[in-house]
Amino acid sequence: MEYFYTIVILMALYVILAASFNFVIGYGGLVSIAHPVFYAIGAYASALLARDVGVPVILAIVAGGLIALLASVALALSSLRVSGDYLLIGSIGFQLGTLEVIKNLHWTGGAGGLSNIPSFLTQTLGPQAYVAFAVAVAVCTVLLLRWIAHGPYGRAMSAMRDDELAFAALGRNAMVMKITIFALGSGLAGLAGGIYAHYFRFIAPGQFDLLQSSALLTMVVVGGLRSTWGPIVGAIALEALPQAITFINLPPSVLGPLQGILFTSLVLIFMFVRPQGLIAASARWRGRQEEVRDANRA
Amino acid sequence: MFSLPILAQILWTSLATSTCFVLFALAFALVLKVNRIFNFAQAAMMTVGFYAAYTVVGLADGPGWLGFLAALLGSVGVAVLLEIFGFRPLRKRRASSMFVFIFALVISELISYVIMLVYGTWPATIFPSLFWPVTLVGPVAVSQWDVPAVVSTIAAIAALFAFLQFSRAGQFMTAVADNPDLAEFYGITKDRIYLITMIVAGLLTGLAMFLYGSRAQVQPMSSIDLLLFAIAATIIGGIGNLGGTAITAVVLGIVQNTSVLFIPSEWQGFLLYVFLFTAIVFFPKGIRLPERRLARSTPTPTINADDSGEA
Repeated sequence: MEYFYTIVILMALYVILAASFNFVIGYGGLVSIAHPVFYAIGAYASALLARDVGVPVILAIVAGGLIALLASVALALSSLRVSGDYLLIGSIGFQLGTLEVIKNLHWTGGAGGLSNIPSFLTQTLGPQAYVAFAVAVAVCTVLLLRWIAHGPYGRAMSAMRDDELAFAALGRNAMVMKITIFALGSGLAGLAGGIYAHYFRFIAPGQFDLLQSSALLTMVVVGGLRSTWGPIVGAIALEALPQAITFINLPPSVLGPLQGILFTSLVLIFMFVRPQGLIAASARWRGRQEEVRDANRA
Repeated sequence: MFSLPILAQILWTSLATSTCFVLFALAFALVLKVNRIFNFAQAAMMTVGFYAAYTVVGLADGPGWLGFLAALLGSVGVAVLLEIFGFRPLRKRRASSMFVFIFALVISELISYVIMLVYGTWPATIFPSLFWPVTLVGPVAVSQWDVPAVVSTIAAIAALFAFLQFSRAGQFMTAVADNPDLAEFYGITKDRIYLITMIVAGLLTGLAMFLYGSRAQVQPMSSIDLLLFAIAATIIGGIGNLGGTAITAVVLGIVQNTSVLFIPSEWQGFLLYVFLFTAIVFFPKGIRLPERRLARSTPTPTINADDSGEA
């Protein structure tokens, strides 16, 4: 039963991560792969605040999200002022650089990881309560992002993504909107990090590396970029798939690369064969640009 | 600590070590200049080039020259496949630059995972030993690796610039870099030029990876870090300016190597990310020099991820 709870919590966390990542790269059109590092920042910040400073866990989780949000604003401000390309480059550097810092600092536990993280809910109310908590946060995240994407702000996001020049000509500030989208998506990833840290009670830099980036990218691309349900389907399916592989009892040296190959191949296959993903985005979000042509030609 | 012989030694070793970085950076900058792609898949070319040489020399005990050929073939082979089955179809369907980015990055990761599965995650070297016999030239110890590395890098750079200046294909590359549509209007087949650029980048990458792998340990994911160095050099050197990129790569290589005197060794790797952010934050358009001989009239390609189509 413990195993089942763990899987459900992981699925809920990946739903938060995939939905927020979709918000950034899909709805926002901001190319970044550093989403796992905000997940890491949230996890480490929350764990250290609760463990070493004595902040109540629930506040530490919220603070972890806020710290991830602030970090993302710093990254976006420095990269986006030049062009979207620099965000991608900056995001890779930021992800690997932050993990390098975590590995080298002794108070983060170094490469060996951070343990003895205070638990939350599980010891007082049982693991079911934590499952309910994680699922509730996941549902709220999806509903919040759906509400934003399908409301007036979403229409403005769609306009910005389709034609930034025209958008700016209407007096809107594209830069502020991009930073807001990036910060909200990254803050939610940070929140997921806190939830992860206080359930598993151990975090290490290796858990937030490029394999995580590939996994999230796969969930969003395979599920369906710019659709509400696509990343959810992608997250649940792709969380279940590696679990299925673990039952084959392969050694970790084979399992890790095999999961990586699976994720990256799926992204490539979907990019070329079904760019719209398993669940295609609604007409408005597909926009008038190349994705429609891609879909028609595929 | 900072006596002249020591300083000369550090400078020489740094210069020799930076040769590979110059070639990585030039390959990246060339594809960015001509094909207008941030070619993250260069990491895949680098990984395959290294492991091809490692298979021939390190595992099969073959001669070094055969390993060198294998590195070239491996890198060029991946470059050709990438262009024909990846970038070209994406260009034809006018995929957004985000799509191309994701493709290139995912390919690099896929290749790393495949290599991890086949060769494991342990660090590997092309030759059994990383230590090369040393000869004293005055106060400076010059290893048997240094001279061939410096000479072959200078030869490769000279060949590249001669190719761009004097060969027909090289001139076409400059034309396509300048204005692809106008170049096509004059009868230049863009696709052919893009392929040639990838092949040239593959050759530079193969040579660089052979040099790097005969002096340092490589893991399946190492190439992504090495590529970030090339990206930092390309940005600081000024996108589209090959000469600036090469000089910046040498300077960054020297700074990284001499940093061992000032910062603890475990933080040396972190310098790479400092370079990258310095490049993005302070020199996003490169350091402007009074005279840009190599860039000449070729304008800096403006590539915008938010844009659709061919940037």
